[in-house]
Amino acid sequence: MTKYIIRRLIGMIPTLFIIITLSFFIVRIAPGGPFDGERALPEAVKRNIEAKYHMDEPLIVQYGRYLFDVVRGDLGPSYKYKDYDVNTLIAVSLPNSVVLGSMAMIVAIIFGVSLGTVAAVRQNTLLDYIPMILAAFGLSIPLFVFAPLLQQIFCMQLGWFPTTGWFMNNGAPLRTAVLPVIALSFAYYADIARLTRSSMVETLRSDYIRTARAKGMKNSTIIFKHAMKGAMLPIVSYLGPAFAGILTGSIVVEQVFLVPGLGKFFVQSSFNRDYTLIVGVVIVYSAILIVMNFIVDIVYAYLDPRISYK
Amino acid sequence: MSSFKDANVLLEVKDLRTHFKTDNGILKAVDGVSFTVHEGETVGLVGESGCGKSVTNLSIMRLVPSPPGKIVGGEVLYRGTDIMKLSEKELRNIRGNKISMIFQDPMTSLNPYLRISTQMIETIRLHQNMTKQEARERAITMLKLVGIPSAESRIDCYPHQFSGGMRQRVMIAMALSCNADLLIADEPTTALDVTIQAQILELIKKITEQLKTAVILITHDLGVVAGMCDKVCVMYAGRIVESALTDDLYASPAHPYTKGLIASVPKMDGNREERLFSIEGQPPNVIDLPPCCPFHPRCNRTCEVCRHAYPPVKQVGEDHYVACWLACSEEERKGALEGAENNGK
Amino acid sequence: MALFRKKEIATNEFNQVIVGTSLTKEAWKRLKKNKLAVVGGVIVIIYTLIALCASLLPIYPYDEAITVHRNLRPSLTKTAGDLMLEQEMKNLFFQAWRQGRLELSDEEDAQIEAWVMESKTNQVWDLVYARGMEALEAGSFEWNSSEQSRIDRMLNNIETETQITIDKVSVVYEGKTMNIEDMSYEELRGLYASLLGVDENTLEESLVNEVRSAVSNELRSKDSTLSGEDLDSSVEMEMDALGEDGIHDRASTNIIGYIEQIAQRSANSDIQAMIDSGSMTFPYEGTFDLSNGLHVELEVTKMHERRYIFGTDYLGRDLLSRIIYGSQVSIAVGIVGTVTSIFIGILVGSLAGYLGGKVDYYLMRFVDIMYGLPYMLLVIICMAIFGRQIVNLFFALALVSWLTIARMVRGQIMSLKNQEYVEAARSMGAGTMHIIFKHMIPNSLSIIIVYSTIRIPAFIMQESFLSFLGLGVQAPYASWGSLIGDAVSSMALYPYKLIIPSIVMVIFLFSMNFLGDGLRDAFDPQTKNQL
Repeated sequence: MTKYIIRRLIGMIPTLFIIITLSFFIVRIAPGGPFDGERALPEAVKRNIEAKYHMDEPLIVQYGRYLFDVVRGDLGPSYKYKDYDVNTLIAVSLPNSVVLGSMAMIVAIIFGVSLGTVAAVRQNTLLDYIPMILAAFGLSIPLFVFAPLLQQIFCMQLGWFPTTGWFMNNGAPLRTAVLPVIALSFAYYADIARLTRSSMVETLRSDYIRTARAKGMKNSTIIFKHAMKGAMLPIVSYLGPAFAGILTGSIVVEQVFLVPGLGKFFVQSSFNRDYTLIVGVVIVYSAILIVMNFIVDIVYAYLDPRISYK
Repeated sequence: MSSFKDANVLLEVKDLRTHFKTDNGILKAVDGVSFTVHEGETVGLVGESGCGKSVTNLSIMRLVPSPPGKIVGGEVLYRGTDIMKLSEKELRNIRGNKISMIFQDPMTSLNPYLRISTQMIETIRLHQNMTKQEARERAITMLKLVGIPSAESRIDCYPHQFSGGMRQRVMIAMALSCNADLLIADEPTTALDVTIQAQILELIKKITEQLKTAVILITHDLGVVAGMCDKVCVMYAGRIVESALTDDLYASPAHPYTKGLIASVPKMDGNREERLFSIEGQPPNVIDLPPCCPFHPRCNRTCEVCRHAYPPVKQVGEDHYVACWLACSEEERKGALEGAENNGK
Repeated sequence: MALFRKKEIATNEFNQVIVGTSLTKEAWKRLKKNKLAVVGGVIVIIYTLIALCASLLPIYPYDEAITVHRNLRPSLTKTAGDLMLEQEMKNLFFQAWRQGRLELSDEEDAQIEAWVMESKTNQVWDLVYARGMEALEAGSFEWNSSEQSRIDRMLNNIETETQITIDKVSVVYEGKTMNIEDMSYEELRGLYASLLGVDENTLEESLVNEVRSAVSNELRSKDSTLSGEDLDSSVEMEMDALGEDGIHDRASTNIIGYIEQIAQRSANSDIQAMIDSGSMTFPYEGTFDLSNGLHVELEVTKMHERRYIFGTDYLGRDLLSRIIYGSQVSIAVGIVGTVTSIFIGILVGSLAGYLGGKVDYYLMRFVDIMYGLPYMLLVIICMAIFGRQIVNLFFALALVSWLTIARMVRGQIMSLKNQEYVEAARSMGAGTMHIIFKHMIPNSLSIIIVYSTIRIPAFIMQESFLSFLGLGVQAPYASWGSLIGDAVSSMALYPYKLIIPSIVMVIFLFSMNFLGDGLRDAFDPQTKNQL
């Protein structure tokens, strides 16, 4: 097992490397630099700035320098927010995004798995239909429709929740997190519930569940002890892509509910070509994603004894 | 082979009917099956694939997946109590404890995500008042009994670490770990290599004799039946067409289908030039089957009445029953034919 | 037909009908039984037909902005004029209430105050309008003279104002009669310069400056904090991203607008004369040959008799029309993206699956690594940097979405590879490509198509997601996402702008999902627990 973990850890390096390289070069070969527009600058000053940011060097040297800095954990200075470096900007906003994302993920897993299981066990009853209809909505209503609607209904019409604010800042109440988390988790609840249901139905039909019944096991024992482990495998492997989706989804939610997270920086920095900030944010997002995928793999291997660690 | 006439009746199946709802209509998988099993007796249930053997036995345990399946009628008396009328809780007390089952495919019948120890210990503790340690020892004893080498360490393995034959041994150990009265073995060797098949059958025979367990052995292999069973029921299209003590059946088969089956068993001493006998045609689709003998298109001795009415069950010898118009008298056939024609009008 | 039917029916000895059914036939039967999937399919077809025939439908142009019609609420019965008047009166009643001339009960006063505090503008307007109209009828309230004259002026405008819609402007240019929309930038510039009587180079400069200031406005509307140096540099970057061709495209659009204006102005006097003489009946369609060599086909309608059943947007464009044209873009993105991803997926997947060995290993490692990428982020970067054109959008989405299909095709091919008929084909000397394209792909096509149907909603969602962020389709074009994105900022005041496109989009996604689920269940009943 340890060997397997180490091997997977090493396997993460090329992916990260590719992401850094790809985003670095995509951003650099694009037309227009961050200081191009400042025509008022005399040529000498401009050259000075470029020298300060090492932009006068050949691209490959810049790349090498950047790679070296990243390995040391330094994502460089921001070109636009001139008094900050990327590390600071990310450090300030990342916790908000991570908390929002993980809360959404946990809510989606809890509701998705439990309601999906209930639906599978009580097939073709109300307890099956209601969660599945809800899931059909979750699948078809895009996040950027759902989030504004939630805000419109619950903040503006009913006034149950404050329209802005985020509970981690300035002592805003915890309930400011409710709507963003619901909005972000809804689509993933839908996927997880549907997946759980179909996978559970499939598992409950399998031979080894028939064996368990023939042994006289109680229904609840069969579901939780015998069926759950096998039925969770597709859900666990879905969690990797789900994390990726939640990362991108959080950009919308952060914009609609004004959560001071990483998403805002990402969109803005890609608008004003803040090279280091874009690449920095992408690296951080990717690192989160890769670590999540890694955890998912480990959990999968733990759940399925047939996975060989060779 | 001795008759079990004097032994107590363990299980009595009376007119069992199990139907499946499908897109194309109602599939009568089991349509009026009756037979009895005495204590310690081994009963063989023989027939082609799809004739309803497995569904019969799943119905005995009330394990038919529902929907689409439903037991629509009949009684299954276990020592006089009707299993069909038991509550879920009482039923669970019989499953695995009094009646246990082993299945066709040992590769999928064991839970791949749980250790053998977990699966065996939970069964034992469910039905016997034992501590975890006692249950574990019991499990190891059973594994040794079925011939698992170094059972003490192997018990903590996962199913995928065993071969098919070994897994079937584990299944047998698990099924018998609570001293069940009746073991239902649903084609226990079909999925195994030929060499392993003999070993497993031998094992079942040896252990059940040792533990005095009655067995219902489901198979499509008459050779297996000859070696293992005291009594044989031949099934065709959801019904039992002939039942007899094994020796009687081989000596004097009464139903053309049974004759065909016996004739199609390859014989080592037979003439090699001779072609192997086979029954022509296919078994019918049991959805919307008209009233007739379902075997008549494949039968070489068809008469008019076979096409219009299902034959009644007739006794043709001691403990030897058959459902065929050939065993009936001329008057009975005529009466049935007239009755069918009247119904038709 | 009857003959064929008879052939199909065969019975066995039990008079049971035996029908030989192919896999596809079975699947169709299963699909037809699934009511939701059928309904979904019908809705999808209706949407597609409407989107395809958008230009034939009797709707107003999606980019025609009538400023006085901006932000009109949806109404089936009232004309734009009625709604304008209603809105004007709401404003006037409110002012009158402020001045104390419109008297309401104390409770209502308090209620309005509360609403104003919560900025629930619509409720305030509706209440004062209802009470005001009652008071007007009862005679307890009268307009003062300046208000009365405003209303009269508006009534007059509603009665008389006409909208001239230019259908086509053509010109004899270098001996040929050309539609100006078909002319190149250089030709347009030459024509415009000659119409204005100015030098082409000065014209060029002013045209570019115009584009620059338009870009600057757009940026400021997106991010109001931009100013000074930052704004300038952002504008320059934007201009660079557009490139010369992009700038010329935008300039061409501007020139066409100007020439149409010139044409309209020149034709105006003739039209006015016709209206005055009473010889014009509305709607009027006609052609005018103008003195400056332009030849114009136009339509004259009563501007305020228009009806906007879905309302209008912040520029006074018809929302119905924008939604229909938006559907065109969204559905096209879904279909083109899917087709492209199927194509790449099949190519990579079948090569990897069939050739096996090292090729398979490296291709699949590559796919694995791509799977690990947060690809939506890369798409966002690409869109932000390489310009927000629809083509780039197609390209960026298709580039990252073939992975799943490649894996699926590979799996299919691997399992088909060892089948006897493939062996047979190979033993008869068929080449690799022949085997792949003649034997293997046709055999796995149904499953591929089913999974692609499931992918279409995902593409549409991704496109709309980008458009919502402002990185997708750009004005004057619309897509469902951009319509929703535009509406979000003003959703409290004009909720219909958010709700109508959302409903249209959600209905389509719903149908598409039900259809996809139905197809999957019908064609591939085994693999239900895959997304």
